[in-house]
Amino acid sequence: MNWIGDVLVSRGEGGVYNERMLGGARIWEPHRSKLAALYHVGKGVELEPSLRVLYLGAANGTTVSHVADYTEVVYAVEFAPRPMQDLIEVARRRRNIIPIMADATRPETYASLIETVDLVYQDVAQPDQAAIAIRNGVFLKPGGYLILMLKTRSVDVRKDPAIIFDETIAVLKEAGFIVQENVWLAPYHQDHAAIVCTKPAKPGA
Amino acid sequence: MQTYWFGDVEEGRCSPFTGDVNAMVSRILSLSVRMDEFTLPEWQQAVSCGFCSDRADYLRRLQAVCIAAAERSVREHYSGKDAELLQMVRTLDEMDTVINLLSERAADWYMVRHPAFSRKYRRTSAHILIRTLREKSRGALGKVAGEIEQLAETRTALAKEVSARANDVMPNTSALIGGLVAARLMAHAGGLLPLSRLPASAIQVLGARTALFAHLKTHSPSPKHGIIFQHRRVHNAPRDIRGRVARVLAGKLAIAARLDYFRGVAAPEFLEQAQNRIDMAGKGDEA
Repeated sequence: MNWIGDVLVSRGEGGVYNERMLGGARIWEPHRSKLAALYHVGKGVELEPSLRVLYLGAANGTTVSHVADYTEVVYAVEFAPRPMQDLIEVARRRRNIIPIMADATRPETYASLIETVDLVYQDVAQPDQAAIAIRNGVFLKPGGYLILMLKTRSVDVRKDPAIIFDETIAVLKEAGFIVQENVWLAPYHQDHAAIVCTKPAKPGA
Repeated sequence: MQTYWFGDVEEGRCSPFTGDVNAMVSRILSLSVRMDEFTLPEWQQAVSCGFCSDRADYLRRLQAVCIAAAERSVREHYSGKDAELLQMVRTLDEMDTVINLLSERAADWYMVRHPAFSRKYRRTSAHILIRTLREKSRGALGKVAGEIEQLAETRTALAKEVSARANDVMPNTSALIGGLVAARLMAHAGGLLPLSRLPASAIQVLGARTALFAHLKTHSPSPKHGIIFQHRRVHNAPRDIRGRVARVLAGKLAIAARLDYFRGVAAPEFLEQAQNRIDMAGKGDEA
């Protein structure tokens, strides 16, 4: 990852969302972006120019634009029309963002567009976040990474976030993912946790 | 056979899709594959297909068709008659908030200038207070009061438009509860389709989120009504049967919303029965 001192940056065309610049690079704010927060707490997967990424819950394309600065191509799936309008605008200015308006719970509707990827990044406000991740695991190459940004408040507001965190990890393990890291994103984001997993090199192994 | 955005592959043989961008957009929007027998596309297949020349070309063409498809999906999503009504209702409710905030502030300001008038004016209606304020205040305060009046005028015009459009877009729901409240219910649900999918019990407490979550988290009593309280049948009902009226009304609204979404025209027989049933609940008779 690109750091200038203790500031995380990405190198690409600026002005996407009036982000601040530093030495010609775009500052990637941990308070705005959960993925930036994950790097700031010292975890996460190193993004590289050869990576192919499937990004679920692309929203306005803010974090997407930073990921695209680092990687070869980002398949950006978003369901809601309003943020999709912004995402399309961001995609128009970058050759490596493929915007897809689809429901991440139904990969069969966009599977014919997406090749095998090295990283699945998921940040969706849905109750069944683990199920969505597992279903989209088909896009992941063996040994590939899944980063799940768990919004515990979207799962169940009545439950203790810590319990939801443990349950989600158990479900992912059950589905065959190998959990590498799990960490809360405090102080940057409240009640949000990140779970980093790998898909086993051989299915079922 | 495997179906991909760029063409079909059968037993290693690939036939590229030859339509234009528009046809390709229609194709990818309608594609749905069986995941258990599907293998993901590879760019090399598209090259061997003769569809594109290399990886860069593959991504360039994929991006072009995906952007076109996303644009079409967004356009279709906004083409429903409820899309603009939703923005109108939200604007209306935000204007109310702004007008109330500004009126409160202007009144406080005026009271500083005229301490003696404070209590007297509190009793008059907000609208008259603001007019007096505009007439009697010099400088910026008078202008602010004038702006509030302008806003209030725009608000009234917008409310009329909302009501008229709701009668058109959701005739059955509007007939039961009035255009304005019907539109608010729709806006809270996020559209006519989501409203039509809500159970009556959810419609009953739409807009009572705080009370509902307080009820779920602690053991406080459940809310009896949310937005539908704004309808006279609910708020005019005696306190002890208000919950019943709200429940019966919500039940009929759930049916009305489905009629509105799937049929889009008024259903007189349903409306008559529903009105009778709600009236009965209001009289305290349970059917």
